[in-house]
Amino acid sequence: MTNQPLKGIKVLDLGHYIAGPYCGKLMADMGAEVIKIEPPSGEPGRRLAPFIQDKPSLDSSLPFFYLNSNKKGITINLKTENGISILKDFIKKTDVIIENFSPGTLNNLGIGYDTIHSINPSAVVVSISNFGQTGPYKDYKATEIIEYALGGLMGIFGAYDKPPIKHALNQAQIKAGTNAANAALMAVYWSKLNGKGQHIDVSIHECIAYGLRDTTSNYTYTGAVRRRQPNHSGDLTRIRQVSDGFILPNPNVNTSRGLDWDTVARFIGSEELIDDRFSTPTARLQNAEELGEILDRSYGHQKKFETFYKAHDLRFIYGIVLSAEEVLENPQYLHRNYFVDVRHPIAGDIKFPGAPFKLSKTPAQFNSIAPTLGQHNQEIFTSVLNFTEDQIANMRSAQIL
Amino acid sequence: MTSKGPLHGLRVLEMGQLIAIPSAMKMLADMGAQVIRMESIHRLESYRNASLYENNSEGAFWNRGANFYEQNRNKLGLTLDLSKPEGLSILKELIKVTDIFAENFTPRVMKSFGIEYEDLVKIKPDLIMVSSTGYGFDGPWANFGATGPATESASGMAIMTGYHNDMPIMPEIPYIDYTAAEHTVFAIMSALIHRMSTGEGQFIDISQTETASATVPEALLDFIVNGRVEPRHGNDDPVMAPHGCFRCKGQDKWITIAVQNDHEWKTLCEILNIEEAQAKSKDYSSTLDRWTNRNELHKLIDNHTKDWDNHKLTHLLQSKGVAAGSVMESPDLLFDKHLQDRGFYEVVEHHPSTGMPPLPYASRPWKFSETPAVTPKAAPIMGENNEFILKELLGKTDEEFDALIATQIIGSKPTQGTAVRAPDPNEQLRQGRMQRYDSDFKQKISEFYGTDK
Repeated sequence: MTNQPLKGIKVLDLGHYIAGPYCGKLMADMGAEVIKIEPPSGEPGRRLAPFIQDKPSLDSSLPFFYLNSNKKGITINLKTENGISILKDFIKKTDVIIENFSPGTLNNLGIGYDTIHSINPSAVVVSISNFGQTGPYKDYKATEIIEYALGGLMGIFGAYDKPPIKHALNQAQIKAGTNAANAALMAVYWSKLNGKGQHIDVSIHECIAYGLRDTTSNYTYTGAVRRRQPNHSGDLTRIRQVSDGFILPNPNVNTSRGLDWDTVARFIGSEELIDDRFSTPTARLQNAEELGEILDRSYGHQKKFETFYKAHDLRFIYGIVLSAEEVLENPQYLHRNYFVDVRHPIAGDIKFPGAPFKLSKTPAQFNSIAPTLGQHNQEIFTSVLNFTEDQIANMRSAQIL
Repeated sequence: MTSKGPLHGLRVLEMGQLIAIPSAMKMLADMGAQVIRMESIHRLESYRNASLYENNSEGAFWNRGANFYEQNRNKLGLTLDLSKPEGLSILKELIKVTDIFAENFTPRVMKSFGIEYEDLVKIKPDLIMVSSTGYGFDGPWANFGATGPATESASGMAIMTGYHNDMPIMPEIPYIDYTAAEHTVFAIMSALIHRMSTGEGQFIDISQTETASATVPEALLDFIVNGRVEPRHGNDDPVMAPHGCFRCKGQDKWITIAVQNDHEWKTLCEILNIEEAQAKSKDYSSTLDRWTNRNELHKLIDNHTKDWDNHKLTHLLQSKGVAAGSVMESPDLLFDKHLQDRGFYEVVEHHPSTGMPPLPYASRPWKFSETPAVTPKAAPIMGENNEFILKELLGKTDEEFDALIATQIIGSKPTQGTAVRAPDPNEQLRQGRMQRYDSDFKQKISEFYGTDK
């Protein structure tokens, strides 16, 4: 086994659902020793669809599997005094604590940042929440769609004459997990130099709002308020249907590479386009509707991979729309071994999405699948806190574990 | 609190363009790293020549591009022509005193300059070098250029998003560039921590498309394990209903609402005056019923939100425990009391030569209790820090420095490239490309951010 970059860094992952667990997952994939702490009933992420063979159980959620592999799992009932006291014992021996409870929850449990800091001054605590730990919206409720709306991304997402739309799945949550991991590692870096920990406040809302290229700036620079764009059928870079799916054309007309319209028109595959009505941007705008029809017709009978490869031969940076199935078979993904082989007790031998970064000396590794509920209680309580078998049995019967 | 940031003492050399690397390096710069951003005066980056302040293409327009300012805060600016041996040799001198070298060009470009990791590690053995490319540094697609929408398309992500029975749709920003930047920062921080304990540097290869795939594991695993590919669902949620985006009073005003249980549904009905007969009708009595009948339910909600101000309704619903949120337009965001309270938009002063007033920019999605971000400084005007970097850092003499200017290896204005003006506001409005123009935006901003004093 090769070295891993975060080897030796101890993380307590109190995360639940998606954002907190993704933060812990990133670190676990890079070799941090991540202990996932769940309530004895299991965290809500275990109930996230889809499930293996569509059979819900605490160990068959696919998102949970992805988000919690490479972690050790223990259970502690934080609603008991004993549970909190055990958590404090763990806090003494950790470098990072991840949590994404509602703001104030840790304080109410008696383990707010000040308490943690007094127990372990070098601990980095990263708190992820919907709108941050402070401010008038801090107790507002949110789901993905609420974050997309209040974060400003939705206003520039969707068709002109339809309601704004959001991405499928859980982008905001994953984004927050990534940013939380980044902030946590920056604080760990500083802590290693200075011995001091700190508290980090990550807002899911701000994770959306910080990355809106030229949206608020369009206003501060010119007073313009952006919106969802009208459907300009003649737009050369608009997504187009082909005979077997969709492509994203990008014929770099009149760029520094000097490609003239005729070359582009021939590439698109229509002699009709070699015409004054389409040869300049102004002309294309004036005849957008007709242009759109010709483009739809030309692309309509093409095949996506053929067009995509042909485009890149000419360095037109076309895109290609791929499904999950096609990503699995994609020669680029295969070459780079993005998917790794994993054996899962219920799902069997399967492919698993790997790490999206390749570190030449310390690559990410897949070491263990997501823990079953309380799987590592025995191991962790014995090895980290030196508990005896009897103590563990007592705690179990007192429903602390 | 003033702070040097947690990354104070680190030096980064950036050969970036657009967002994927510049945004990542901005995060490091915000948190205290010294980031030297390198560009050539012979190749004008497209973020420098468009989205210009006041749409003004006169004079030194290349120092007034919104996108450039958004992505390059807190960096030092160096110009360098790598196609000349003197330029390359300066790059290598800088590599010797650099911790991290980050670039997002195609592998072909790095090879042609002879500045791949294998070349540079000979000069700086513990160098951390980062390459961020559309599809990855090796493999059959390695040299395929890509845009944000292209990486979103190829990752398995774009195909899932869109209205029912309609084309895939993507946001009007290169969304995945930010996703890639975030994962890049994580990889760099991991490599730095590894270097701290072992002294070992390394090469980091980021495929922007793979970073997008990493964010849609549910879909990939659902196919792998269950053989299923979900169609596009619009704003529908797999469990919640009502769940969507509903029309409000005014031009293109919307509210999102997500109801998670019976209690919230009851509250929503009360606030929206949805009549008891409708609310209690059998069709909507349980979460599952509401979900099953969500199409009619969503029409019902639409009918009851359409006369509301979206912000008022948001705060009312939230005060009663229902998840709701207005679709925020730019001024809504800039003048939002919550983001103001958190200091999310930071006022940044621009170089006097630009004639630009101080302006608010989105900061970061995190706050550090002990080592907050550094006091923000605007992105460099072209070649702003040439003198500091070449003379103070590398010890060039005045004569050497002047010779670099004379031979156009460095400089402060581009030798090619022209300004791209946005179409006339009236034309944009006519085409429906912009919601509206606020003529008093400058005054509103300076009053709200207190920059009018």
